[in-house]
Amino acid sequence: MAGLVQNIDLALPDLPILRYWRNRGLKAFEAQGVPTAKTEAWRYTKPRDLNSDDFILSVTLPIITKSEQTQKIPFACYPIIFENGILYSKISEMPSGLCIMPLIDALFMDIETQEQMGIHLDVENYPFAALNTYYLNQGVYIYVDSNVELERPIVLINHSSVGPENLFFNIHNLIVLKKGAKAEFVEYYNYSGAVKSRYFANIVNEIFIEKDAELNHYKVQNEAFKANHVALNMVSVKEGGNYNGFCLQKGANIGRNETKVLLKEKNASARVDAAYIMNGWATLDTTTDIEHLAEETCSEQLVKGVIGGDARGVFQGKIHIAPKAVKTSGKQLHKALLLSDGAEIDVKPELEIFADDVKCSHGAASGELDEEQLFYMQSRGIDREEARQLLIDAYLDEVISRLQNDEISEWIRSLIKENQSIIG
Amino acid sequence: MSKTLLEIEDLYARVGEKEIIKGFNLTINEGEVHAIMGPNGAGKSTLSYVLAGKPGYEVTSGSIKFKGKNLLAMSTEERAREGVFLCMQYPVEIPGVPSSTFMKHSVNAIRKHQNLPELDTMEFIKILREEGRKLGLDNEMIKRPVNVGFSGGEKKRLETLQMAILKPALSILDEADSGLDIDALKVVAEGVNALRDGKRSFLVITHYQRLLNYIVPDYVHVFADGHIVKSGDKNLALELEEKGYAEFVREK
Ligand SMILES: Nc1ncnc2c1ncn2[C@@H]1O[C@H](COP(=O)(O)OP(=O)(O)OP(=O)(O)O)[C@@H](O)[C@H]1O
Ligand SMILES: [Mg+2]
Repeated sequence: MAGLVQNIDLALPDLPILRYWRNRGLKAFEAQGVPTAKTEAWRYTKPRDLNSDDFILSVTLPIITKSEQTQKIPFACYPIIFENGILYSKISEMPSGLCIMPLIDALFMDIETQEQMGIHLDVENYPFAALNTYYLNQGVYIYVDSNVELERPIVLINHSSVGPENLFFNIHNLIVLKKGAKAEFVEYYNYSGAVKSRYFANIVNEIFIEKDAELNHYKVQNEAFKANHVALNMVSVKEGGNYNGFCLQKGANIGRNETKVLLKEKNASARVDAAYIMNGWATLDTTTDIEHLAEETCSEQLVKGVIGGDARGVFQGKIHIAPKAVKTSGKQLHKALLLSDGAEIDVKPELEIFADDVKCSHGAASGELDEEQLFYMQSRGIDREEARQLLIDAYLDEVISRLQNDEISEWIRSLIKENQSIIG
Repeated sequence: MSKTLLEIEDLYARVGEKEIIKGFNLTINEGEVHAIMGPNGAGKSTLSYVLAGKPGYEVTSGSIKFKGKNLLAMSTEERAREGVFLCMQYPVEIPGVPSSTFMKHSVNAIRKHQNLPELDTMEFIKILREEGRKLGLDNEMIKRPVNVGFSGGEKKRLETLQMAILKPALSILDEADSGLDIDALKVVAEGVNALRDGKRSFLVITHYQRLLNYIVPDYVHVFADGHIVKSGDKNLALELEEKGYAEFVREK
């Protein structure tokens, strides 16, 4: 047993690119450490549990059946299955124009991948991404060739089968959509076993969207209720490209999904939406940082949360508009429904506007369930709990209904309902 | 002899600190239509909320029996399932909940209470469309969130649609005619009349005699200062239309 930094055997220790990143990651993590209350970027989310010294690095693949995991997905897809952070299998059938392989294999074989790796990943400013690259080993490389439009979504499932020990694992994916490519990428984090495990899932996605390409990225975080889940999505979008991100968080004790989008060229656009629902003592954090670096770029964010018990919702949203990014627009809205007196939200919007002729807006609102609405529904025979549920679902549905793929939005609706016991 | 459906005895009720219903008595038998008329602020809507069990409306004394059971001991949803339906003066908007979804939950909650199997979506939509058409509510409106962006008249039609589908034993209509044009008024009245089967009963709260030309009441009551001050047949409504409430308001 030990803390977050441990010395373990990783694949290809002598490959220079891997050595470089592992060393740089270690240095950057040691310089930053686990964030404290003084770390500005982590002001509201305090990952104290991560200072414990009883983490066990997940290195061996438990015995699972792949089909058990893919059965959880009710639509046709290209599955990638991880178990406790370890890749179980590559996808079996791949259409032409799509390549998926372990990231370290891609780094071993391909100079271009080596050059692309980490271009935007300033691990010196992201402690957990630094830690993740120190352990650079697990994760996939996904490549969609020019003008290829995938028929099915790529679905990455990580299933944590947790026992008494507190596992720690890192996944690092690199996703490239070449010019004009179109793809959907789903991430689904779920678990079974000891619900009280304080395991730690530490995820990094580097996403490169080239000219006129489009990625719809859906994520569901449903970890065990004492687990920690920290993810960084580092996205860059070139001319005319589009990133459509959505993340539902409904699990973990500390759950943080952070997305940075670099709108690098003219007409690049992004939507970064999120929904969260939680009670108990958890903190669910949605952090975004949208950088408008070129003219006529456009971004939009709608984040809605439902918080009960003594849980806390955090939204930190930054929009940065660089001097040359004229005629851009950035919209941001966070809304939360508080179901109990102990529920809390912390919202920190930040606008940095250095250009003229831009349209920017941000807003935040929070409220409680409306008694008049509840009474109206009850007066039509619907019991109070069911009425509350309908209102909660409706509240989140404003975000879900924006998703582009109906099969995926139906699936996400069903996951929101699953095992939900949000009593307020 | 028809059976007693609702029996209100010497009811006193308050909202906050203010006593509003004061010594109210009313018995409604199965199949009867009772109209209540009275000046603004008399407590008519308050009475309807007390019957529906709205939080904040506190009964301080008296009793209400519905089908022989103590209505006051039931929650709002239990009352609805037993057959009390309140067609509200100001129907509530519920963004994000499609009217059809809402009504499906409502119908199935009541069916479950009656030990009937739940309707599946297809069956339900068929019924909804049929009844909606009669009330001039098209499919597109039925899919829209409950009352959101509905005009005053459309809201009342949606209330009437729910009444038509739920087929309650007692419908309380609180100013179902307010803000309605003459065609909408007829539509709502037809909705009510279609439900009149000699067993279902209605309590119609209104300011205007006109509605009672379409929904012909068996009894008309004048409600002032928290209780009934005069009762009569449908001709009382005509009389009120002519003379106003001056006579009753002075009494107090
Ligand atoms: N929540 C409340 N708190 C205090 N007073 C209230 C409240 N609700 C109603 N009242 C008062 O109770 C009285 C009766 O109101 P109610 O709405 O029942 O009258 P009404 O007979 O329905 O009038 P109208 O014909 O205008 O609809 C009014 O004086 C009103 O101001
Ligand atoms: Mg009224």
